[in-house]
Amino acid sequence: MNKSWKSYKNTGDFFDELIAPGGGPRVVARRLVNLLQELPGEEMAARRAAAELAIRDMGISFTIYTEGKNIDRAWPFDIIPRVIAAKDWAAVSRGLAQRSRALNRFIDDIYNKQKILADGILPADIVLDSGNYKPQCAGMSPRYGAWAHICGTDLVRDKDGKFYVLEDNLRVPSGVSYMLENREITKRVLPELFENYSIQPVDDYPSRLYKTLASLSPRDRRRPCIAVLTPGIFNSAYFEHSFLARGMGAELVEGPDLFVDDDECVYMLTVDGPERVDVIYRRIDDDFLDPEAFRKDSVLGIPGVMRAWKAGNVAIANAPGSGVADDKVVYAFVPDMIRYYLKEEPALASVKTYLCMKEKDREYVLANLDKLVVKPANESGGYGIMVGPHATRAKRAEFGRLIEKNPRNYIAQPTLSLSTAPTYIDDTVEPRHLDLRPFILHSKETWVTPGGLTRVALVKGSLVVNSSQGGGSKDTWIVEASK
Amino acid sequence: MSMLSRVADRLYWMARYLERAEDTARLTQAYTHLVMDIPGGSEPGWEILVSILDAEAAYAEHFRVHNELNVLKFLIADTDNPGGISTSVRNARENVRTTRDVLPGEVWEHVNELYLYTRENAEKSVGRRNRHEFLHQIVARCQMINGMMMSTLCRDHAYRFIKVGHMLERADMTTRVIDVGAGALLGVDRHHTAVDPLIWASLLQSLSAMGTYRRTIGPLVEAESVVEFVFQEPSLPRSVRFCLNGIRQELVPLHNHREALKVVDRTRRKLSRFKADTASREQLHRFIDGFQVELNTLSEIISQTWFSPPQE
Repeated sequence: MNKSWKSYKNTGDFFDELIAPGGGPRVVARRLVNLLQELPGEEMAARRAAAELAIRDMGISFTIYTEGKNIDRAWPFDIIPRVIAAKDWAAVSRGLAQRSRALNRFIDDIYNKQKILADGILPADIVLDSGNYKPQCAGMSPRYGAWAHICGTDLVRDKDGKFYVLEDNLRVPSGVSYMLENREITKRVLPELFENYSIQPVDDYPSRLYKTLASLSPRDRRRPCIAVLTPGIFNSAYFEHSFLARGMGAELVEGPDLFVDDDECVYMLTVDGPERVDVIYRRIDDDFLDPEAFRKDSVLGIPGVMRAWKAGNVAIANAPGSGVADDKVVYAFVPDMIRYYLKEEPALASVKTYLCMKEKDREYVLANLDKLVVKPANESGGYGIMVGPHATRAKRAEFGRLIEKNPRNYIAQPTLSLSTAPTYIDDTVEPRHLDLRPFILHSKETWVTPGGLTRVALVKGSLVVNSSQGGGSKDTWIVEASK
Repeated sequence: MSMLSRVADRLYWMARYLERAEDTARLTQAYTHLVMDIPGGSEPGWEILVSILDAEAAYAEHFRVHNELNVLKFLIADTDNPGGISTSVRNARENVRTTRDVLPGEVWEHVNELYLYTRENAEKSVGRRNRHEFLHQIVARCQMINGMMMSTLCRDHAYRFIKVGHMLERADMTTRVIDVGAGALLGVDRHHTAVDPLIWASLLQSLSAMGTYRRTIGPLVEAESVVEFVFQEPSLPRSVRFCLNGIRQELVPLHNHREALKVVDRTRRKLSRFKADTASREQLHRFIDGFQVELNTLSEIISQTWFSPPQE
């Protein structure tokens, strides 16, 4: 065994993805761990250098915004893959598909009959008073009743190895391009592993996405016109927007490239004249989508696109208003939704969630701030979160005040012990915490990526995996446990 | 495959900025050599370079005196001068950054490298010591990028707008260079008839046209024949006629080309009618002024027709 692995231990405090409690590799990871442990130390470093070079050559970057400046950073990547057994994954995958079906039924219900509210499954004010509920969308029923066509669901693995859903991202989830690029890099730097493992491929995602989007086209054409709508080069996910547009052979457009004509159809401005757009895969938030309907000062959107959408002349993915189900308060009710709409038991566990708007829950939260994770109901990117056990007394007091001032805005959950995996830091392999974001495509059918994007907190002991805050990523393998 | 108006716009400007960087480098290179050749006291001033680029106003914002270092700093390193090398390279890169999807992968890489090179070296290449190498690098790198595009780009709309951008910028710069020759010599009281041929030769050099000129016209460099050659020679890639023909050829396959072609054809007719051998220097100067107005009109029509068409 090379010395970088020598001090690696499964302490039993967390579930380790690759190493069993006894210290030996888990069955699915055995060949991987054996190979990496036998590599000489300098060879590990050489593989990492090769990965870094590949990332630079392939131009894989993300943009972070700090101190008033946009900085293009190379994508932080750990060469040691995370391995999940196919049979474990199959159950998770079923649970994700089930969840996506229920969430889409919910959104469709909320903007139409609101039966779930009438039946008292969840309080109407939670949904209707939320900023995520867009009255502009009421009465719409998009094809197949599908609203959130692309969903990125964050999963974590607790101490017992069980997967929990942390949150569903139904607005403009990002990260899928990195999932694909991570696999490309691993193929380059650890090619010998692909001989002995049967790893489920991920690279057909762009064509799956294309099929999902094309199925929404209002016109029956062999190749509908699909446009990926980006806020522009300064957006942190611009790389991904451009990547997906290329992968689908679609146009990468910005708001000013599109306009709505008197016939309430959407056109893009081309050098051959206006060309009608069938499907918009938008990567901008609802609020910026249409200055006629939402924020009037938006220069990123397309005036009138909501009219075109409501007239059925263009499909928008994800549909405007989908964010109504992407709310940490609504999250607490997803298991009830699954039972209500699908008459099934939830196949995936959710994390116990305390709603600060409920008096009893709030009392509990305020009394246990040191044990809980407090989250704003409505932020993404890991901002505005307080991790109780790690927070200072002053920080906890501050959150206590915030909660009392605006209880609807906060939820709290017990601190989960996020699973760890061996991660190559400097010249030793150390455990680091991680999560997993699979992507679910939903239109006529529902499809789940095999695996997803594994994000890893590179800072020792940290639970924050967001790339904007010091997170990295790993390739994620779903492997058949053969031989 | 359709082409977004915005993308066409950016490709067109990428080409113009790349050409501008290259041409400014060529001009500066040739002029530096010229100044070294002319005996002290009778050399034309450095302010001519500023007036070639029509940049007097921008210059006055930053500098007062037209000495060599100031002018060179302005042309090479100033990041506010819209005609300068640093600015042109930066703008070219910004335009490629947002059109990477439609360009061969290497183009971004090389434009980015050109940008990094310029950023690192511009400031220290203002003095004569490093200037030659810097300008040489700019020209060579621009040529490489250009060559790469010409040998890999599919002959579709992307190619067309890039070529039109290059040709238009080049025609503009070529006439500016001629104007300078005339301008430098217009001040007849400066008694430098003896250095006339030197000036014209260096201008030919800046257009990479010296060799062709010698083979086609002869070894004697005279004002009238240089002007005639640089204006009319259809086989010379930097001649005004060549550029206009190139623009025309690429506009023809585009929709709605009527207005733009009208201007191109009018300009070509004016060019044919201009007789360099009988024109006075003053007439030449006025002709070039008129010509540049036409180029601006053409650029505006291109922009209105294809880049920001009315939404109907």
